Amino acid sequence: MKKLTPRAIKSRAEARTYSLWVINYFTACGFMELLPWVGSGYDMERFGILAVATPRHADVLVVSGYVTKKAVKRIKMIYDQMPSPKYVLALGSCPMTGGMYWDSYSTVKRIDEYIPVDNWILGCPPKPENIGHGIVMAMHAIKGGFEGH
Amino acid sequence: MANEIVSTLKSEFAEAILSCASEDGRILLQVAGQGFHQLLSRLKDMGFDHCSDVTLVDYINDGEFEVIYHLWSHGRKIRAVVKVRIPRESPTIASIVDLWKGAQIHEREGHELFGVVFDGNPDLSPLFLEDWEELPPFRKDFDIREYVKREYYGEDKGYFGQE
Repeated sequence: MKKLTPRAIKSRAEARTYSLWVINYFTACGFMELLPWVGSGYDMERFGILAVATPRHADVLVVSGYVTKKAVKRIKMIYDQMPSPKYVLALGSCPMTGGMYWDSYSTVKRIDEYIPVDNWILGCPPKPENIGHGIVMAMHAIKGGFEGH
Repeated sequence: MANEIVSTLKSEFAEAILSCASEDGRILLQVAGQGFHQLLSRLKDMGFDHCSDVTLVDYINDGEFEVIYHLWSHGRKIRAVVKVRIPRESPTIASIVDLWKGAQIHEREGHELFGVVFDGNPDLSPLFLEDWEELPPFRKDFDIREYVKREYYGEDKGYFGQE
């Protein structure tokens, strides 16, 4: 591949920053707190974020809430289909530790045993403001040259 | 009206009905395993046209499962609950799919989570669980805590839960 000039790298990072497309696959209650961002209240489209229907168009996978053993297979399948660079956000305490499902027989406890996670957003579930903070943090990192996976 | 239904059933199924209770709009019947299918069929003829749920309870100290049928009559506005006890060892009970088709999915779920075989149900394949090789998880002798420790908090995982 042709080596890019620093300026081209910078403008590519900027282009990525303002066109984060999110795969429309959400697992649990974290999505309820993400919904205000879809509507006009928080309005994610002003950051260039879109919800897309297929993983092949997506840059971001949001793991929103607890993940069952059955769902983790689908998440892995979706993650593998996403083109690089791709970023993963985990919403809420469930993907981190199992949350209130820490002793459930059917949910996985740590999602990063299965897919790499770039940003953890705290809360049970996180407020829309927390999610916005996490997204903006991710955007800063991408703008600063973070390449994802 | 509920009392009339119960007295009719009592005269027709004297041996099958172990105990019963009724009040306005509600009927509760405890039924022996042999006669329950005929009784449910009779209830359907009496206007109980909707089977809302089939649930199970594990009475491990008695060595029995209790299968609970929740019926509803749209015409009479009466809810009927029919309870049947079956032995815990190799639990098998006749399916009621021939009476209410909607019971199929409830029986399939009961089979998955309790391991009860509903004889005559056309499809008892797993519904929620994939690759499940343990005891059915809703049984009382399935140790959830032990399973979770072994499956998720194993020694190679490197976080709390280790001792």
